[in-house]
Amino acid sequence: MSSAISVRHLTKDFRIGIRGLKLRAVDDLSLEIPRGQVYGLLGPNGCGKSTTLKIVLGLVSATAGEISILGEPSATSAARRRTGFLPEAPYFHKFLTGRELVRYCAQLSGVASADLDAAVEDALGLAAMNEAAGRPIGTYSKGMLQRIGFAQAVVHDPELVILDEPTAGVDPVGSASIGRMIHAMRDKGKTIVLCSHLLGQVEQVCDRVAIMDRGKLVLEGAVEDVLSRRDRHVMTIEAMTPAARAAAEAALEAHGAKVTSITHPRRSLEDLFRELVTGSRDA
Amino acid sequence: MKDSLRRTLWISRVTFLEAVRQRFFAFLLVLSAAMVLSSVSFRVFDFGHGELKFIADFGFGGMFFFGSVLAVVMTAQLFFSEIDNKTALTLLAKPLSRAEFLLGKFFGAWAVLGVFVLVLAGLQGVVLWAREQELIAAAEQAGKIPATFSIVGLCELVLLQWLRLGVVISIVLAISALARTFLFAVVVGSLAVVAGQLQWIAQDALLRPTDSPVYAFFLWVSTRLIPNLQQFNLADALVLGSSAVEEGALIAVGVSGVAYLAAYLTLGSLIFRRREI
Repeated sequence: MSSAISVRHLTKDFRIGIRGLKLRAVDDLSLEIPRGQVYGLLGPNGCGKSTTLKIVLGLVSATAGEISILGEPSATSAARRRTGFLPEAPYFHKFLTGRELVRYCAQLSGVASADLDAAVEDALGLAAMNEAAGRPIGTYSKGMLQRIGFAQAVVHDPELVILDEPTAGVDPVGSASIGRMIHAMRDKGKTIVLCSHLLGQVEQVCDRVAIMDRGKLVLEGAVEDVLSRRDRHVMTIEAMTPAARAAAEAALEAHGAKVTSITHPRRSLEDLFRELVTGSRDA
Repeated sequence: MKDSLRRTLWISRVTFLEAVRQRFFAFLLVLSAAMVLSSVSFRVFDFGHGELKFIADFGFGGMFFFGSVLAVVMTAQLFFSEIDNKTALTLLAKPLSRAEFLLGKFFGAWAVLGVFVLVLAGLQGVVLWAREQELIAAAEQAGKIPATFSIVGLCELVLLQWLRLGVVISIVLAISALARTFLFAVVVGSLAVVAGQLQWIAQDALLRPTDSPVYAFFLWVSTRLIPNLQQFNLADALVLGSSAVEEGALIAVGVSGVAYLAAYLTLGSLIFRRREI
């Protein structure tokens, strides 16, 4: 089976200024994104990840290289019919209601008239936007805009969903909600490509990651593989007394192991925030 | 083909809704309507011409001027706003071609201008009819032949003005597909409308003999590239019957308008296809 996205030797140069100076945004990038996984594309601002996504979607032309989506040449209508996209900080027609927008996008994506109503309600349900779907988009909060953007991206049941900074400007509760949507899509067997700066979230939701810098790929692999330190171990112990600690250290040292640090486990500020505001929605 | 037409229709529908809900459209419509209605009050300044002619000139002048402003500014705004705020990214990532997007924008904007022209022409017709009735009564008492206007001519003029505005929209879309800023599109679009209004001068000059082949070539190219927007201004002839208009001439104006409209839309689509968003 072909990859969800296959990028081979992709290069993109932008011409800037009157003299047409060349700016290389993507430099000989090759990537294979497998199907059915959540794939994180990471990197600092200007590293070329958004340009790469735009080229994949046919919004920007490549200077060199080949790209295919689900085995089809990218930028073809057939490839885009099987792809959903949520751009960074999306802006939609303020006068449309959420439901009208999702319906409009479903129509443009080729959803048959007979399936339209069901597809729209399913997408709104997945994005937890049923209740607010009748309101004009101009009245939505940032988190709701991202969620309705997610709904329009998945309304035609695409096999591949590309999300560019889906949690930018969204609070941790909204961010967690988007994380749940991503997991729900993966559970349905979809491939999700996620471009984000929020490394903590990427770590939580992605199966594989690629890190780009200055247009080049610097690291690629399964999250577990790239983050694990196989030569170190962590134990979490309850009710440890000084005597128990000394005995444990002695026992470990007797077997040639060395205890390098003992600290109290911490929860993340994001976990604490979500715990404190449980149940609240950003509606 | 059927799917393509549907997608174009959906884009134009949303474009139409977006445009009519803007204050700019409502403002220009109210301003133009006020100009048409106020023409009755200003008819004492008819400069010796007939009252109906003054009312018609005043009203059609407003329709022509504000319609042109609306066609240039609104079209550029409708096109650029979607690119600037990334709505176009969302839409063009779907199985929608750039030509369909551009055509959808065109038909949406053209439909708005259709409403604009229809409302103003309706008002103009009511104003002309009301004054015509008063003039007929006065002429009968004085035993003179009353001045009249033609409703059929008014309908023909509405179609011509709508076509003229369609040509303007297609030119502005072609310019917008090339432009990088809203301001550039509006300024160059406005200049194109002015050039279209003055194109007849180049046509006249082309008929006169000249020693310079470069000048003659420049005039020839100008008269082919720029449509003659003056040819659509047949208000006097069609509505007031000041002179006869042959049916063939009307058809020629219509065909010329449709040809320019199609040519500029094709050009706009070709430019937009290569544009990086």
